[in-house]
Amino acid sequence: MPEARGSSGALRTLPAKRIVACIADAAKRWCDADYAPRLRATAAIAARLGYSTPVVDYALDRLFGGATRAALESAIASELGSVDALDRVAERRGAPAAWARGVDRVVIVSSDTTIGVALVPAIFALCAKCDVVVKDRSDVLVAEFFATLAQEHPAFAGAARARTWTGGDDPAEDAVLGAADVVVAFGGDEALYAIRARCATEARFVAFGHRASIGRLTRDDVAEFDDDRAERVARDALLYDGEGCLSLHALFVEADGDALRRVGATLGAACERVALEFPGGARSPQRTAAVAAYRGIAAFRAAGGHGDVLRAADVTLVVDSPAGEPPPFLPRVVPLISVTGDDAIARYVAAQHLPVQALGVTAADALALALAEQIGAVRVAPFGTLQTPPIGGHHGGAPRVADFIRWIDRE
Amino acid sequence: MAALDARLLRAIGDYELDDPAFLALARDLFAYQIAHNAPYAAFARSAGFDAARLPERITEIPAVPAAAFKEARLATFPPAETAAAFETSGTTSGRGGRHELPTTQLYEAAVLASFDRMLLPDGARLRYLNLVPDPRQNPHSSLGYMLATIAQERGDGAGGWYLHGDALDLDGLVRDVARANADGVAVCLATTAFALVALLDALTARGLRLPLPGGSRIMETGGFKGRTRVVERTALYAAASDRLGVAVDAIVAEYGMTELSSQYYDSFASRSRIEPRVKVAPPWLRAIVVDGDGRAVANGVVGAIRHVDLANRGSVIAIETEDLGALVPSLRQAQDGLGAGQAGLVLLGREHGAELRGCSLDAETLLVRRA
Repeated sequence: MPEARGSSGALRTLPAKRIVACIADAAKRWCDADYAPRLRATAAIAARLGYSTPVVDYALDRLFGGATRAALESAIASELGSVDALDRVAERRGAPAAWARGVDRVVIVSSDTTIGVALVPAIFALCAKCDVVVKDRSDVLVAEFFATLAQEHPAFAGAARARTWTGGDDPAEDAVLGAADVVVAFGGDEALYAIRARCATEARFVAFGHRASIGRLTRDDVAEFDDDRAERVARDALLYDGEGCLSLHALFVEADGDALRRVGATLGAACERVALEFPGGARSPQRTAAVAAYRGIAAFRAAGGHGDVLRAADVTLVVDSPAGEPPPFLPRVVPLISVTGDDAIARYVAAQHLPVQALGVTAADALALALAEQIGAVRVAPFGTLQTPPIGGHHGGAPRVADFIRWIDRE
Repeated sequence: MAALDARLLRAIGDYELDDPAFLALARDLFAYQIAHNAPYAAFARSAGFDAARLPERITEIPAVPAAAFKEARLATFPPAETAAAFETSGTTSGRGGRHELPTTQLYEAAVLASFDRMLLPDGARLRYLNLVPDPRQNPHSSLGYMLATIAQERGDGAGGWYLHGDALDLDGLVRDVARANADGVAVCLATTAFALVALLDALTARGLRLPLPGGSRIMETGGFKGRTRVVERTALYAAASDRLGVAVDAIVAEYGMTELSSQYYDSFASRSRIEPRVKVAPPWLRAIVVDGDGRAVANGVVGAIRHVDLANRGSVIAIETEDLGALVPSLRQAQDGLGAGQAGLVLLGREHGAELRGCSLDAETLLVRRA
C-alpha cells in the first residue's frame, strides 16, 4: 500500500554522475543471469505472464544491458546539455544558464504487464534526483532492482520505492497520485483516463498508451529477402509473442503473387528457427480461440482463392491479408499485406486509425523516415532491433529525463 | 432435398437422434451442402473432404468460422429462393454477416421444439413480452424472428415488443405487465441480458418493482457482446428475481447465434443455481469443444465451441466460434432431451482469461478508437 508523503530528497546531495554510476553498477549485477534476485524475478515473471524463460531472460538482458553509465549519461546530456546540469546551474550556449532541478515526487504506474516497462522512466527519474514510487507487479521486479540500488548506495532506499497495490478505487492510490509532481502511466485508454483524472491539476502527466508497430519491405527488399533478413523480421514478430507496442503487428510487402508467397515462405521458415530460440508463451483459452478463428477465416479465404495461411511452429502467417482489415493483434500472428508502395501503407494506417509506434525497415533511409513521419511513427528501426530500443531513445516520442525536471534559469 | 428435410423434421418432431443416426444424417447433409454450396465445398476440399471422402466422425466435419458468413454467401440455393435472411452486426471488420434460409419450416420447427421442451414443459400458453428487436423494425434479426414465431405459435395473442433500437419502452411494459396480472396470464419476458439490465436500472431509478404474474418465466439471451457495460450474471439474475418476482429457476438462458438454426437452453438440473448453468442442445445440435488446432478436447477441458447444427440445412452444417466453453455431463438427461453419454455445455464467455500481457494495441481498443 503506498503512502502519500513529502519528498525525502534522499538523492539531492549526490552528484548526478554518482547516481548514474550506482544505477549502471546495479544494472550490471542484474545482467548476470545467475544473480539471485534476477533468478527470482525471472521465475516470477515467467510464472505470472506465461512467457518462456528464454524470452524473459532476453528481456532482462536487454533491459539491464542497455543501462550502462555511458548510455545513461549520453541520454541525459543529449536532452539537458550535460549531466552536470542536474547538479547545478550550467552554462548553455545562446540561452540563459540553467539548473535542471529534478521534481520532488514521481509516480510511475503501469497497468500493463510488459516486462520491466516501469524501470526505464524510474531510472531516469532517479538520475534527476526525484523520489520515485513505482506501482510494481506481483513479480516485484522493480522492488528487487531497487533493493540492489540500495546496496549500491543507501540513499536509494529512501528515494526509490516500489509498491504493489490494487488499482482503480484504492484511496491510497489517490493520495499518491494526487501528491505527485509527475505521473508516468502505461496502459490502455481507460486506465490512462482514470489515472489522469486523479493527478493534481499542475502535475505533469506522461502517458504511454497502447500502440502498434509495423514493418515494410520495399520491392528491392523483396528481391533481396533471404534467410538472414527473414530471421530479423521473425525476431521482431515473435518476441513477447507480438504483444508489445514495439512488436511487429503487420508486415507490408511491396509485392504480390509469387513474390509475395516467396516472402511468406521464407519468413515462415525463419519463424520456425526463431521459435526454437524464443519459444512461445502460455496462451489463455480466449487468445487461443481468437488465433484459431483468425486462422480459420484466413483459411476460408484461401480456399476461395485469396491469400494463404502458413503455420510455422506456433506462428501463423497470413499471406496477402486483406488491406481493408486492421492487424489482428494476436500472439504470434503476422499478416503480410500486399501494397504498391509507401503511399498505400500510409493510406492503410490512416484508414485503420492505427497509432504507430515504430516502423521496421531494412534500411532507415530518407524514404523510411518520410513514411514514419507520414504515419505518425516515432521510431524507425532496422528489422531485428524493433523490440530492443536503445535506453536513450525517445520511447513514445517523449524525452527520457526532461519530463522529470524543471528548469531554473539564472539570468 | 425434400427427403433430407423430411428426415430432419422427423428428428425434430421425435426430439430424438442417437449418435449413429446423427452421424448418418450429418454425412448426408454434408454431402448435400458441398454439392450445392460452392464456398463451403472449397473450404471442405482444403480440409481434405469432398464427395468421395466424407467425414467419418462429426468432429471431422469442416467447420467454417462464424465470420465466414461475412466473407461469402454460404447458401445451398440461389439468392432468388431466399425465404428469410438474418444478419449479424459488423464487429471488428465492420461488415455484417448474413445467414439465409431457403425455407423457414425447418427453422421454426427447431425453434418451437426446443422452446416447448425447455421453457414450456408444462405446456403453458404464456403472454410474450419481448425485450428483443421487434421484427417489424428489424426484419433481419434472428432473435426477433424467433420470438415472433414463438409468440405467434405459443402465445395468447396479447404480447408486445418493448425494445426500440436501444430504447426501452418502460411505460408500455409496466402497463402490459399490469394488464397480464389483471388477466391472470403468466408471461414470458424474453430479453437480452443488456435489455434486462436496462429494465432493472429503469425500475430502480423509478423506485418500482414489477412483479410478473405467477407462473411467469424469463428467457434471457444474448450476453453483452459489443456493450461497454457488463453485469455479472449472478448479480443480474438475483436482481431480476427480486425486482420482477420470478424465482431464479424460472430465469432460463438461451444461447444461440444468427448463423445457427437451433438453440441451447439451460438444463433443468442447473437452474436451481445461477452459476454455472449447463446448456443443453436439442438432439439435432451438437457442441464440440476444440483446442487451438481444432482438435476435440475431453470433457471438462476449456476450448472454443464448435456447433454441428443439422437444422442448418440451407447453409453450413458446422460453425466454429470464439466462444469458450467446456463439455460436462448433464444430470437429468432425459428431461433435457440428451441422449445417453451426451454432454452439456458450460459457457465461459469471451472475456474468460482474456487479459492482455503487453502494451500492444488490441483489436477492441482499435475498434473503439475508430468509432
